[in-house]
Amino acid sequence: MELITSLLKGLWESSGFTLLTWQNMVMIGVAFVFLFLAIAKKFEPLLLVPIAFGILLANLPGSGIMDDLTLSQVFGGDGSLAGGGHWYDSGVLRILYAGVKSSIFPCLIFLGVGAMTDFGPLLSNPVSLLLGAAAQLGIYIAFIIAILLGFTPQEAAAISIIGGADGPTAIWLTGKLASHLLAPIALAAYSYMALIPLIQPPIMKALTTKKEREVKMTQLRKVSKTEKIVFPVIVLVLIALILPSVVPLLGMLMLGNLFRECGVVDRLSDTAQNAMNNIVVILLGVTVGATANGESFLKPQTLGIVALGLTAFIFSTVGGVLLGKILYIVTKGKINPLIGAAGVSAVPMAARVAQNEGRKYNPTNFLLMHAMGPNVAGVIGSAVAAGFLLLMFQ
Amino acid sequence: MKIAPHFLGIFTDIYGSNDAMNIPKALLIALVGFLTVVSILAVIALFIKLIAFIFSLIEKKKSSKPSTIITAVNDSPTPKKTAVTLPDNESQGELELVGVDEATAAILMALVSYKTEIPLNKLAFRSIKFVEEVE
Repeated sequence: MELITSLLKGLWESSGFTLLTWQNMVMIGVAFVFLFLAIAKKFEPLLLVPIAFGILLANLPGSGIMDDLTLSQVFGGDGSLAGGGHWYDSGVLRILYAGVKSSIFPCLIFLGVGAMTDFGPLLSNPVSLLLGAAAQLGIYIAFIIAILLGFTPQEAAAISIIGGADGPTAIWLTGKLASHLLAPIALAAYSYMALIPLIQPPIMKALTTKKEREVKMTQLRKVSKTEKIVFPVIVLVLIALILPSVVPLLGMLMLGNLFRECGVVDRLSDTAQNAMNNIVVILLGVTVGATANGESFLKPQTLGIVALGLTAFIFSTVGGVLLGKILYIVTKGKINPLIGAAGVSAVPMAARVAQNEGRKYNPTNFLLMHAMGPNVAGVIGSAVAAGFLLLMFQ
Repeated sequence: MKIAPHFLGIFTDIYGSNDAMNIPKALLIALVGFLTVVSILAVIALFIKLIAFIFSLIEKKKSSKPSTIITAVNDSPTPKKTAVTLPDNESQGELELVGVDEATAAILMALVSYKTEIPLNKLAFRSIKFVEEVE
C-alpha cells in the first residue's frame, strides 16, 4: 500500500500540475484566444495558428520542449568542459529556434515573398516608392517614444520596427538587437497586421476629403519583361552599396523575385513561393510562439511594446496618407491619397484595404493595382529602415 | 565604393549605441533614419524612370521599322477618324448590342483595350454582334 502511495505521489509530483505557474496558465489562455481568433475569425490564420500553438507548447510545464542545455550538461559535475552535453540535448523547439536566431528563417521568408511579389505596379508608377518611404514614419516616431519611455536604444529600435508592418523584418532585427523581446514584438507585429482592416480605415477617412477618396486613377503603363528582370538585380546592387547591412533581407527578396521574373527557373520559383515558404512559416511561427514563456512574457514591459507597436502602425499610416495628399495636390488630383496607406507593407492586406475604402466612395473605382505599388515599396522601405537601425545599434 | 558605408560608419561612431541615448540624439537618429529611407527609395524611383526611358527609346527604334500588321491596318480602306480625348469615366458614342448581354460586351471591350494597349476612353465601339457558328 505504501509503495502504491509513494508511486502515486511521485507521479503527481512529476506531473505538470505541480509545476504549473499562474503565468503558464495565463499564457495557455492567450494561446486559446489566438487559436480562436485564427480559426473562427480567420485573423492571419497561416501565422497565428503556428504561433498560438508554439505559445501553448512552451507553457506546458515539464515538457522541456524549449529548454536550453543545463550547465551540468555543458560543463560536467566538476566544472570541466566535458559534460557530455550535445546541442541535440536541448529541447526540440530550442534547436529549431536557431533558425530564428541565425536569421535563416526571416531571410528564407523574404525569398518566398520575393517570388510572390509582382513589382510591375511599382515599375509602372515609381512615385509609389515615395509613398512606401513615407509610410515608414511610424518607425521613427515609435523609436523616439520608446527612448522617452526608458527602453535601451537597441530595444527601442527593435520595438519601432513593428511600424514597418513586416513580420520577417521585425523578427530579423529583433533577433539581432533585442532577442529577449522577440515574442512580444513578433506577436504585436503579426497581430496588428491582422488588424489592419480595423486600424487603417478610420485614419484614412479622418485625413482625406470625400473628393480625394473618390479620385479614379488612370491605367498603369505596361511593364516589359526585361524591365522586371533588370529591376531586382540592379536595385539590390544599388541598395547594397549604400546600406550593406540590408543585404541579407533584400538579397533574398530580390533573388526570389528574379526566380519569378526570369522565366527559366519556374520550379525554383514555385518551391520558393509554396513548399519552402510554407515549411519556414511553420517553423518560424511555432518557434517564435514558443519564446512567449509566461515568466518572461508577462511583464509591464510587454504592454508598453504592444502600445508602441500600435502607435507605430498609426503613424506609418498617417505618413503614407499625408504624402498621398501632397501628391494629390502636386499632380492636380491624379493620385488618390488612399493608396498611401498601403505603403505600410503588410502585402497584400494593406492594398486590399485601400481598394475597399476607395470603392466605398466610388463603386466604379479600382485602386488595387495602384495600391500594390506603395505596398511592395513598403517592403523595401521597411527592410531599408531595419538595415539603418541595425547599422546604428548593433 | 566604400564612400557611403564609411560615411554611415562615421555617423555610427558619433551617434551610435555606445553613447548614452538622450532625446536630441534620438530625434537626430530618427530624422537621419527617415531621410535615409526616403532618399534610397527616391534613388530607386529615379533609377526606374531611367530604365523606363531607355526601354522606351529601344521601343521607339523598334517601332520605326513598321511591321506587316501595322502596314495592313494602315492600308485598310477604313476611313481614318480623329481621336477625341474624353474624361476617364466617359465612353464615345452609342454602342449597339446584338445578341450579346452587357456583361459580355464589357469583358470584350476590356480585352480589346488590354490587347491593343489603347485606353477605353480612346476606343470607339459601334456594335458588338453575336455571330452564329456556321458548319
